[in-house]
Parts: sequence; C-alpha cells; structure tokens
Amino acid sequence: MSEYVLELKGITKIFPGVKALNNVHFQLKPGEVHALMGENGAGKSTFIKVITGVHKAEEGEMFLNGERVDFRGPKDAQAAGIAAVYQHPTSYPHLTVAENIFMGHEIIKHKMIQWKAMNVEANKLLAQLDADFDATAEMGNLSVAQQQMVEIAKALSTNARIVILDEPTAALTRSESEKLYKIVDKLKEEGVSVIFISHRFEDMYRLASRVTVFRDSQYIGTYDVNGITNADLIKAMVGREISDLFPKPVVEIGEEMLKIENFSRLGYFKNVSFNVHAGEIVGLTGLVGAGRTEVVESVCGITQKDSGKLYLEGQEVHIKQPSDAMEKGIILLPEDRQKEGLIMSWGLGRNVTLPTISQYAKKGINDEKKERDLAKQLLEEVDTKAVDIFQPASSLSGGNQQKVVVAKALSQEMKVVIMDEPTKGVDVGAKAEIYAIMGELAKKGYAIILISSEMPEILGMADRIIVMCGGRKTGELSREEATQERILELAMEKGSAGKEAAK
Amino acid sequence: MEKKSFIKKLTGSREALLAVILIILFVVITIISPSFLSPRSIMDMLKNNAVTMILALGMLCVMLVGGIDISIMSTLALSGMAIGMLLKYEYISNTFLVFVIAIAIGAVCGFLVGVVISRADVPPIIATMGFMYVFRAMGFIVSKGGEWAGAAALGTFKNFATTKILGLSCVIWLIIICYAFFFVFMKWTRTGRKIYAVGSNASAAEVSGINVKNIKLMVYMIMGVLAGLGGAIQVSVYASAMPDMQQGGEMDVIAACVIGGVSMSGGRGTVVGALLGSLILATIAKALPLVGIDALAQNTIKGVLILAVVVVNVVLQRIADRNALKGREM
Amino acid sequence: MAGKSGRSINNVPESAFKRTVLSWEGILVILLVVVNIFCGFFSEYYNLNSVLRQMPVYLAEVFLMIPMAYILILGEIDISVGAIVCLSATMSCIVGNTGAPFIVVVITALLVGTACGLVNGFILTRFQELPPMIVTLATQIIFRGIAEIVLGSGGSISATNTDGFRMIAGKVGNVPYILFLVIVLIVIFAVILGKSTFGRRVYAIGTNRLTAYYSGVHVQKIRLIIYTMMGTFSGLCALFLISTSYGANTTTGNGYEMDAIAMAVFGGILSTGGKGNLAGGAISAFIIVCLRVGLGQRNVHAQVILLILGLLLIGAVALPNIVGQVKRAVKK
Repeated sequence: MSEYVLELKGITKIFPGVKALNNVHFQLKPGEVHALMGENGAGKSTFIKVITGVHKAEEGEMFLNGERVDFRGPKDAQAAGIAAVYQHPTSYPHLTVAENIFMGHEIIKHKMIQWKAMNVEANKLLAQLDADFDATAEMGNLSVAQQQMVEIAKALSTNARIVILDEPTAALTRSESEKLYKIVDKLKEEGVSVIFISHRFEDMYRLASRVTVFRDSQYIGTYDVNGITNADLIKAMVGREISDLFPKPVVEIGEEMLKIENFSRLGYFKNVSFNVHAGEIVGLTGLVGAGRTEVVESVCGITQKDSGKLYLEGQEVHIKQPSDAMEKGIILLPEDRQKEGLIMSWGLGRNVTLPTISQYAKKGINDEKKERDLAKQLLEEVDTKAVDIFQPASSLSGGNQQKVVVAKALSQEMKVVIMDEPTKGVDVGAKAEIYAIMGELAKKGYAIILISSEMPEILGMADRIIVMCGGRKTGELSREEATQERILELAMEKGSAGKEAAK
Repeated sequence: MEKKSFIKKLTGSREALLAVILIILFVVITIISPSFLSPRSIMDMLKNNAVTMILALGMLCVMLVGGIDISIMSTLALSGMAIGMLLKYEYISNTFLVFVIAIAIGAVCGFLVGVVISRADVPPIIATMGFMYVFRAMGFIVSKGGEWAGAAALGTFKNFATTKILGLSCVIWLIIICYAFFFVFMKWTRTGRKIYAVGSNASAAEVSGINVKNIKLMVYMIMGVLAGLGGAIQVSVYASAMPDMQQGGEMDVIAACVIGGVSMSGGRGTVVGALLGSLILATIAKALPLVGIDALAQNTIKGVLILAVVVVNVVLQRIADRNALKGREM
Repeated sequence: MAGKSGRSINNVPESAFKRTVLSWEGILVILLVVVNIFCGFFSEYYNLNSVLRQMPVYLAEVFLMIPMAYILILGEIDISVGAIVCLSATMSCIVGNTGAPFIVVVITALLVGTACGLVNGFILTRFQELPPMIVTLATQIIFRGIAEIVLGSGGSISATNTDGFRMIAGKVGNVPYILFLVIVLIVIFAVILGKSTFGRRVYAIGTNRLTAYYSGVHVQKIRLIIYTMMGTFSGLCALFLISTSYGANTTTGNGYEMDAIAMAVFGGILSTGGKGNLAGGAISAFIIVCLRVGLGQRNVHAQVILLILGLLLIGAVALPNIVGQVKRAVKK
C-alpha cells in the first residue's frame, strides 16, 4: 500500500473564461484529518468536486491507494469509497431520513425495497452519531445541523474510507460544533481519512493534523498544524499583509443617520438595536443564520418586521416595501448578487438603471439615451472591467459584478448604504478595489453598514462592530477593542446572555 | 423516540384526513339519500369514474417530478378512436389484442410528449398543450372526419365492461390491479423512489447518478400508457367511440391529484392520496344530484373545491411555518 | 473614484436595422409572406378581399394574444381566458336581450371580463406561493361553470338585440373595424411593453423576480394589473365574438387560451419569461389568421388546422432549444 490513500498531482480545471484550479497538488494520509483552507473563490469547492467526480479536470492525475483512477461521474467516486458532505446539504426534503441515507444503495430483497431493514440500519447509524431524531422523520423538517448529520450518516452507510466535509461548522452553534468534532474524532479512530474545509481556525486546530492552503486557484503549500502560526497561515491564504488589503481612510464621524430600535421578527431576530453615523462603517457580523441579513432586509422593507422603530436622521420613518426605503435613501446591496442584486442575462446598463428608470422617463416612456449615458458614467466611476454596457452581467467576474451592483446603488440618492457580504466569491485583487470604493463612500459622508462573515474584512474596515447570535445582538465592540477571539466568543454565545434579554 | 399517538398520526397525515372526509361524505349522503350506499350504486360510480381514477395514477407520477400533462384526454381519444375504428371495420375482434393496441398507441404518444419535454426542454404545459391539439386532431383524422363507432360496431369488446368476475366488473378489477401495482411500484421499487427523488431535488438526483432526463421521459410514458388503457376502458364502458370523448376531462384528473395532496411543484404525493382524491371527486359528482343540487352546478363546485384545497394548503403551510418559527430558540 | 484606470466603456448600441433583420421577427415576416403565397396557391378564393371579409372571426382571438404576451413575459400563464370569454359573452347576450342600450352591453362585457381577471390577480397576489397554472385551471372551471349555470339546460343563448353587434362588425370600405382596433391596440401595448417604464419592469419581473423586487419594482401590483388586463381583453374578445356569431354557448371560447399562447410563443415570446416582444406576437398572430382563412376556404377541417397549430407551438419552442443543444455539443 502506498503512503497516501489519496494523491492528486498537477490538477488543472478550466471553466469557460477562468482557470478554477491551476496545477494543484494534494496528499492525504490514511486516518488523517486534513484541513483545506483558502479564501472564498480560492478553488476549494472546485477541487472537492474534482475528487468526487462531479467535475472532470482538464489536466492532472489522481491516485487512490497508489493506483491511478479516473472518475467519470459521482457514482465512480462513491463506489471507490469517497463521500462528500457539502456545505448546502444536497438532500431530498420530501423524503424520510432513512431514504436520504440510502438513496442509490437501498437495501433490496426480491427487487423490493426493505423499509424496515433500512429504518433499523439508519437508526443504528444515527445512534452512532448521537442523533436526536428518528430515521422516519422527514428531511425537510430537520435543522441544518441535523441534516448535516444525515449526510454524514449517508457517508458512513457507503462505508466510505475518505470523507470530505465542506464547511460543516459554518451554520452550527458552539455545542453543535462540539458534537461534530466528536463525530470526526470517531471517524478518525475507525481509520477513515477526512478532508475538512473550514474558515475557522478553531476547527483546524481542534481537528486537523495537517493543513493545505489554496490561493487564487493555486496550490500554496501544506503545513503541519503544530508548526504554523495564525499570522503565517493568514499570509499564506491572503498573499499579503492584512494592513495592505484594507485601505481604511480616516473619516470624521458625523451625525447619526440611521437608528434601529428594538427590531423584532418572529423566529428571525429579537430586540435588535443599533445605529450608524454619517461617514461611519458599522460592521455587522455573526455566524450564518444569526439573523444579520434578516435584520437589514426588514430595514429595507424586503420583509416586514413585527415590531420596532426606525429613525432616519432623527425622524421616525415607516417602510413597507423596498421602494419606500429607496426613496428615503436607504440602499441595500444584497447578499446574493446573482439572485437578488442583478439580472444576469440583462446588459450592465439596464441593470444599473433598473431602480431609477422612472426618474428619467418622460410621460412613462423611457429616455434610453439618458440611461445609457448615466450607466456609462457610473460604471466607469467604479472602474468596471467591461467592454460595453450591453454585455450581460453574467459575462463578468464576481468582483466586477459587485461593482455593477455598486453602480446600481450609486444611481440612486443615497444616505445609508447597506452592503451584505460584498466580497463573497470575489478574488483578492477585486476585493481590495471594493474596499477602496467602500472607503470612498464613507469619505463622501454616507453611513455604511457592512455585513460580513469574514473576520479580517470586519476587523479591517469597520469603525464599530455589532455581533449577532441566534437572532440577538450579543455585543458591540469599538475598532480598538475588537479582536478575532472576542468576536467569535460573542458570535457563538448562545443561551445565557440572550435568554436573559428575552425576559 | 416515543411512538406518535394514533390521533396525532391521524391529524398529521394528509391521507388520514382525506379518508375521514370521504367517510363523512359517505355518511352524510347516505342519510340524505339511502340508495347511495347500495353496492350497485357504488359499483356504477367506480365504473363511471374508472378513467379518471386510473389516469390519476399517471398524473401522480408526472406531477411528482414537477410536471403536468394536459394532453392525456387527447391521447385517450386517439387510442379509443383507433380501436373503435379497427373494431368497426372488423380488422380485429380479440378483446386482448384491442387492449394491447390501445396501450401501444398510448405509449407512443407518451413517448413523444416525454421526448419533447425531457430532451428539447419544452415546458410541460406548453408541450402538452400542443400535443393536446395534435393528438385530438389525429383522433379526428382516424375517425375519418368525425365518424362514431357505436355499440353495434364494437362487437364483443363492449362486453368487457359488463362481464363480471367474482361479482365485480372487469373494469373495477382493472382499477384494483392498477392501484395495487402502483402502490407497490411507487413505494417499494427503486424506480418508483427515483421518481420521488427527481421531484424532490433534481440536481441532487443528478449528482447521485440518477438519469433525470430518462426518469422524466419515463413518467410521461407511464402517463401515455395509462391514457391508452383509459381509451380502451372509455370505449368499453360507454360502448361507443367518438373523437371528442372526454374533452376537458384532464381537469378532473388534475383535480383528483390536487385534492389528494399531490404537490404542483413536485416531490410530494402518494398513490393512496390519488385514490382518495379521485374517490372524493367521484363521490361529490355522484352526490350533487342526490342532494338536490342541479347537475349544472357541478363544474362550478368542482372548481371551487380545487381552489379551496390549494388555498387551504397554502394557509396551513403558512401556519405551520409560523409555528416552526415560534419554536425556534432565540 | 478610487483606483480609476480611465477605462472607457462603450455605450453606443448597434444599429436598429441590423438588430431587426437578424431576428426571429425578421424570419416571421418572411414566413408571413410565404404563408400568403402558399394560401394563394392552395385556395383559388384567397385574395385581399376574401381575407378581409373572413378574418374578423379569427381576429377576435388576437385581442387575447396581447395581454397573454405580458403574462408569458412575466413567466406565468393564464389558462382561464377561454372561460372568461365564455362567461363574458354569455352575460352580455343576456343583458343585450333585455333591450338595454348597446353601451350597457359593452360595459357588461368589459366589466365581467375585468372582474374575472381581477379574481385571478387577487388570488395570485394574495397567495403568491400558488402556481398560476393551478389557480387559473380552477378559475377556468369556475368561470365556465358559472356560464353553464346561467345558460341553464339549453346551454346556449342567441343575441336577439343585434343592432349594436352589427354595428361593431361594420367596415370602412373593405376593412373591418376590428382590424383597426386590433392594430391600434397592438401598437399601443407594444410601445408600453417595449418603451415604457412599466414594460421594462415587466421584463425585469419575468427575468428575475427577486432582483426586481429588491430593486424596488412593485411586483405584486404589476402582476395584479396584468391579470386584470387579461380579463378586460377577454371581455373585448367576447364582444367581437358575438358580433360574428350572434350568440354564446357553453363551449364559446373553448381552447382560446391555447390559441393565444400559441400565437405569443410562436412569435418568439419565451414561455419561461423575460424574452420576446409584441411585434413578434403580432406577426405570428397574422400568420395564423391568414393560415386559418386560407385553409378554411378549401374546407380543411378545423381539427386539422388545430393539428398544424399544435405542431407549430411545440416546434417553435423545441427548435431553438435543440439548435442550442447542438451548438453546445459542437463547441465541445
């Protein structure tokens, strides 16, 4: 047997227009937990999909137990004992847990599916994982953490020897994460090799023995977890010192622009209050599902809050729908560019002017000439790398798409700008440009709310940091007090502080 | 994990709720008009609704993968008309052969629909709307421009509907066989579960190696086969074949499924649900005249019923979502 | 602003001429010519006069194509329009037969249609989760069901007070009024769809409803307006239908929703939303009208014409998809 259960050499994967992976290497030892780290868009997910046979690499070789393999589809990888648990559970919400676990390899006797046997087996697997639900439960009714457990049970049911976990702790609370760590320990004991993708250093230190770093689709290096410092690792991931990346300008903070008072919405957030001043960047952070996006969406009228008051420049305002917020100058740059921010098949110009067409129209008929001129001017202002304003938004890279979203916001009268994960899926170079734009906006005196899960970004850009957890505001830190540890602590704090506030 | 109480199971399951509604309907109607519950009346009801009940099985499969098929009654007319003409001009007389031909025609129709939808990516509603025209017109052409095949022309074939085995009409046996087969097929076979998988999450199904296109093709073929079979049943029950038979009947089939809890967006629905849905629809149709409601109002009531069911579904779902949110710890 | 590279982005569109010629609409115009030549050979009676004389019956359906185009561009569907036509025609016959002045009849037709459309729109916007397909399927049964109840056991009604209907069936020279009305309405609504703020928003909703909503478009209001408009046009269609048949029955308007959808889809309007324009819809509507007149003159049965329509509908959607697939396959 070879030293490595899995070895990949010189993998290159090309998507139309981009090299998603460029000559990447990877080695996995038997029974090892190997962390895979890198920024969003560094190529980790694509790499995982190459291993699991979802994507086929253009170049490179893959060896399993020393033997060269060539997967034609996910089924081949499954048969070879590789199982992946994706970030967003790829389950069947209408079917039972047992069926989800055994989909594709059902227990069959006389060509009939043996439900009883399957339920029994599934319950055994779930018991191994200390699950608190039954195999006959409907998948769609489970929480994300529980669904993840089902996915892991699924991996176990195929007797996988290599298990890949893609950001498994992203949506979990601290106690749920602990449970997951135990499950991974158990897998390790049984000799299963685990590849672990995570943004959290905590996960890596707790679980992994080695870590491989990708950056900009390239392999940077593999390190022993014991022998590397946080700073070195960040440098490997980001490729430069953090201070270079965040050109935070010094801006004098002005009057209070927006005040959110006791915002509550059933099941999403409760009694959230904070404010933002002119020229100030307020960072809003927390784990996925903490209710950050939901709060700002209710500020902008996308959804309705149950109670709470909103003040703009000291005056109470009532916002019933998105157009109300826009008229008042509260502009949201939504989290999901492709689904909420842009119309991907439309030209850039039309995207930019969509919120404001009626302003240039004469008697309801569009003034297209004026629209084109304005679009050109705004797109150039944010320095979009585009040839003309008619090319579809889908033809741009993530970073440039984000610039179009910014241009779209700039077409409106702004007072408060809310940016929800503005650098998600954006490469490092474009990130710096977006930070620069953010700085410019602050300089111009707009009040900015920045929602982000990326710690360096929040620490680097925000004047003040609001941390949310489980739908509540758990803390507020000034730029000086904020550290990664303090924020994480507040973001994972579930229970005590929050519950008291509820009374 | 404790066992759910019987009552909770009953209120929690859509099928149980439908069964209760059906029983209440039966009781109320029998009180008003005692003749309703006679075996003869029930058998008549089943016989007259055989086509809707059997096609509901196919529609269940189609709707499970998130599709819809409104061409089915045209397929039915084409296959029914074809065998009617074959019998009329005495090309064939063997009852078994008649069924085989009807089913084969249905299968071809279903295949065409399936190919256009699964391979050429035509939205199901558009594709089947087109085929609704095409098959209906082909049925008309087969009938040589509108000829009927009346009872006299059908020879021994029409006896199929009147023959009884063990006291039950052959048509009712067919219903039983179809439902038994699909009950097993949808619950206990891999292929059946693949239909659910595709409907529940097509991209996950693709990743786990299920050929989504073929499954889609298959469900439309199943639908076609059942529509072909329905053509033979229709001709034999009503002892005539005409090119415009069952026009608009696809709405009944869809209604039966919707009432039976089959979701329009796919993934949710059961054979028992389809059965109960079509039985409820049939019972209401039968009961309206009995309780003194003009038969003219039947369609309106059917429409209101469908609308009520889907709206109530949405309302219930909203309440359920709200309760789920209330339960979320914060 | 920051990091300005001075890059210039082109904002001059290519010439309108180039865009028009190399488009589906261009092909449709050629097809319209071909169909007319074909009909000329096929039927010895086919000429401008006969077409103008026989087209009103088919033109009534073109009214339905206009709002249907809007609904399809929204990415939705309304299959209740045939039933709305039926109900609206029935009610206006009844009102007309009481001896009411014609203007009252007109108002009845439009009001009944509008009310039905409003019902659809109200349900669909109040319960956004519901697919339009199932809702309009149910209301289709209900609207026609109400017409069935109103018509009673006879199932039909004749318009006895025909003066008004005779009037709207009139002509200027050889050209029937309805043709003017159809063309005027198409032009107005084509401009609204293609050039106005409202139209732009309709496309935005049809392409990406969420983005439209996040960008401040009043999605539900626009949907409500369009479904209601569909009802109003159905009333208009009913009115002109009576002017050619002087009556209504339970099958009036049967399958009209299919015809309207076929015209729009064949005109290049994507049934999944966001693409197409009324010019295409209008040309394809006239192709279908000419084809029907021509084939009808030689007594080709209505069913056969439907067969052709069905194939056209499937082909118009399937062909571009297949071509696209082949292109992609070749590229690989």
